[in-house]
Amino acid sequence: MKQVSQALTKNSSLILITIELILVSFSLFESVLTWILLIVACAAVIRGAIHFNFHKHLPSIRTLNLLAILSALGLIYSGMSLGLLIGMVNLLVLACALKLMQVRTQKDIYQLIISLFFLIGCGFIFNQSIVYSLFYCAMCLLLLLSLACHHAPNIRLKSQFKRVFTLSLQAAPIGILLFLVLPQLPPLWQTPKSKSMETGLAEQITPGDIASLSQSSELAFRATFIGTVPVSSERYWRAIVMEDFDGKTWKIHPYRKQLRNQQLRANQEFQPKLTGTYWDYQVIAEPTHQNWLFGLDLATPNGNASQVEIFQSNEFQLISHQKLVSQYQYKVRSYPQALSTQPFSQLDQQLNLSVPKNGNPLTRQWINELRTQYADNQEFIQAVLAHFTTNSFIYTLKPALMYSDPIDKFLFENQAGFCSHYASALAFSLRLGGIPARIVTGYQGGELATDAQTSYISVYQYDAHAWVEIWQPNSGWLRIDPTALVSPDRINLGLREAMAEEGSFLSDSPFALARMIDVAWLNNIRLLLADMDYNWSRWILGFNKQHQQELFKSILGKLTPDRMSLLGLGITTIITLLLTLFFIPHWLENRLDKTQRYYQQAIKLLNNKQLGRKNWQGPIELANQVNQRYSVEIAEPFATLTKLYVRLVYQSSNITTQGQLNDKQCHKMMRKALAQLKAELARLN
Amino acid sequence: MQIQLNQAIEKTCQVLIGKQQQVKLALTCLLANGHLLIEDLPGMGKTTLSHTLAKVLGLQYSRIQFTSDLLPADMLGISIFDNKEQNFRFHPGPIFNQLVLADEINRASPKTQSALLEAMEEGQVSLDGETRALPSPFFVIGTQNPSHQSGTYPLPESQLDRFLMRIQLGYPDVEAEKLMLKNQISSLEHQIQPIMSVEQFQQAQTLAQQVHSSEPLVDYILRLVTFSRESQQFANPLSPRATKAILAAAKAWAYLSNRDYLIPEDIQAILPAVAEHRLRSASSDFSLTGSLSQLLLESIDPIAA
Repeated sequence: MKQVSQALTKNSSLILITIELILVSFSLFESVLTWILLIVACAAVIRGAIHFNFHKHLPSIRTLNLLAILSALGLIYSGMSLGLLIGMVNLLVLACALKLMQVRTQKDIYQLIISLFFLIGCGFIFNQSIVYSLFYCAMCLLLLLSLACHHAPNIRLKSQFKRVFTLSLQAAPIGILLFLVLPQLPPLWQTPKSKSMETGLAEQITPGDIASLSQSSELAFRATFIGTVPVSSERYWRAIVMEDFDGKTWKIHPYRKQLRNQQLRANQEFQPKLTGTYWDYQVIAEPTHQNWLFGLDLATPNGNASQVEIFQSNEFQLISHQKLVSQYQYKVRSYPQALSTQPFSQLDQQLNLSVPKNGNPLTRQWINELRTQYADNQEFIQAVLAHFTTNSFIYTLKPALMYSDPIDKFLFENQAGFCSHYASALAFSLRLGGIPARIVTGYQGGELATDAQTSYISVYQYDAHAWVEIWQPNSGWLRIDPTALVSPDRINLGLREAMAEEGSFLSDSPFALARMIDVAWLNNIRLLLADMDYNWSRWILGFNKQHQQELFKSILGKLTPDRMSLLGLGITTIITLLLTLFFIPHWLENRLDKTQRYYQQAIKLLNNKQLGRKNWQGPIELANQVNQRYSVEIAEPFATLTKLYVRLVYQSSNITTQGQLNDKQCHKMMRKALAQLKAELARLN
Repeated sequence: MQIQLNQAIEKTCQVLIGKQQQVKLALTCLLANGHLLIEDLPGMGKTTLSHTLAKVLGLQYSRIQFTSDLLPADMLGISIFDNKEQNFRFHPGPIFNQLVLADEINRASPKTQSALLEAMEEGQVSLDGETRALPSPFFVIGTQNPSHQSGTYPLPESQLDRFLMRIQLGYPDVEAEKLMLKNQISSLEHQIQPIMSVEQFQQAQTLAQQVHSSEPLVDYILRLVTFSRESQQFANPLSPRATKAILAAAKAWAYLSNRDYLIPEDIQAILPAVAEHRLRSASSDFSLTGSLSQLLLESIDPIAA
């Protein structure tokens, strides 16, 4: 054993495993606890020190046991707040790190490699983008490589890599086939929310929040349109409606939440009146760890699956029953004119007129004056809006901070801000004037890409926007975007154009590709990447049960049980065929010739009867041993076998003396002797 | 021929009681046309063995006792001016014999050692700008004391490699020693007559190398050698010269065992003698290195195809 462990510490497979563990666990750094990452680093340092001969001894088992107990306690303590899944992932990383410190035998290496494969699988729970998928594929390759290195430590790394790569390529068709046909199961566990993952829209805004969001060029969602696509200035993707205002912060009204919970319990939902033209489209939302979904204007879930999974709230929000922990695909139909025809309840009226009792005195005074001047609602609204157009308001992503009476400061002092400043100021002003108004946040615009059949819109986090909806008895809900008055470019051309002069578009990330739109080829690359990502989400990540059914349908025509079983049979055959194609040459190569086969069979038979052949014994010595240990009845046929084996394998085959048996006769005799041996051994029982 | 060779073994064993295996190995070595190194403590019968072998095989025999002040000329010979003939005449040294016993080889200075080893390798001696061939066959049986004895210059690996085999005699068992004390062996030693002529022995050498080595067997040797190179337990793996030595020795062994083909047991019988002095352990931990050649043998399955 000591020999083995010495050989183990030397070979390169362990250092590969170490690299692997570091890369994989650091790719999960968002979910893995820092102290566990530290233990991983420690394990890596120990392995590195041993590999490069700085140190010669592994930590003792006693030390490791102590460390294991302590970290288990630590994990239990911190795992309480983590939830089951993340806790388990942490446990896995921890176990791998401790195992790495302890690896002494062959068995340890296998355990470690299998755990690491599992860990890579866990990685897909958290990261699914193309880049991560490629990364995890590379990690799988690396793991296989380390396995190969473990088995043949003296073959050069390059040729090992070639071999592993070829084998993986050969396995790829089977993998693809299995991906296409294996049942697409829903997740077995609920992926819990991680605190560090809250990106996307916030459930409340204090003007200032969206500025930071605008700076992110991450994808928010993509929408694929069937048929016509609305123009950019019409693309208001509603997400969250905020009706509760305390003078500074807008948030979702608690009544609405209560109402929603009641409706959910009663299994009811709001049924909007649907009128006018509509757009059909499909949205693939990036994971937000929230329930909010995005839709243009008044949107309704379309298609069976989406109708079951999505809840329509009274303020026309689409809410998913499940949190969006991974990419989520749903179908929607939007009715741009339907907003104006929805019913307006007492509750709506009450919520959308409430203003805080105090604060922002200047605004209150100004509205009072305006209201006495313009009794008519329409005129009053125009007058309020005129304030934005006649004064020199500036659209900026770097507004001054406004802590107290923010709306007063914004309207009359700074006159510079971004969408939520404008929306907040307008909604507050209109409410003061007795006009029901609320803030809607979501996204505006998005980048349109069209290929042969479909056109899709990519909406990024920097497209986040906030605007106002007011209610008027004659026109129903009406969207007013004060930002559009101040900075029409923001709406018509997007944030990038609007910020061209100020230069603050994505100024936090100077190398973001989205900043480089002027460089044609860079922009092409960006669009190409977006396209790839779109197709990846749509075809790979979005491949669900439904798609699978469609695929089967396109192959089989109709899905009858007979045809399905035929398909299953066909696929099994194909996989078997592929495997056979791979294994047959190996098998043929390794297939022993008759002489070897008979002889090895005999040895196996005897070994089953506790012969205990040492694997370095030669044939004659073995025959002697058999002779000593067993009765003549057994020893004799084996002696014959050995004689023939030696004759066939070691003696010169050119001797053609009379009386010499030819190979065929020898084999026949061997077979006979083997049968005799078998019979005798059977009698022994 | 084999009968005579086995008689030779028997005869030698009468003198060297209870050392059948070592005697057979020694004869194998000579049959494979290789030089033999006998390593053991003083008084174990090293000299007796070589002397007896020379007698049995009818070889011209000389013995050189190596000491720390032995000079190459003492061994190779010297040219002396002959007053009668008015020129230099070469007086050949003791090395010009068919079997040379280089006794206690590791007592001599490295200079003398390498002169001997050069003669062993080349089969000739260069003196005064003249090359003189050594007799044929030419064997050197070196004996050496274990290197930890005082006053020794251990042979370097490169020179150890020149010896086809290294054997150790070891103590005789009690029975053999009793027999030795009873019989007057020393008198026996003088009565020994040659069993065969030198020509016959050379013929036997040729025949021995015609022993059939089948492909699986060559593979077995190669697997052994490759293992010694790939495993990290050996600091000095086996050289191609060692591979050749294994095959040659195994053939001679098989020939002595009355077989005209090689079996794995032949390899296993000669490997410790052929390989042990060429291997060196990578580990400094002596406790786990019983015998390196044994470790090597136990790592490879001869039967596996």
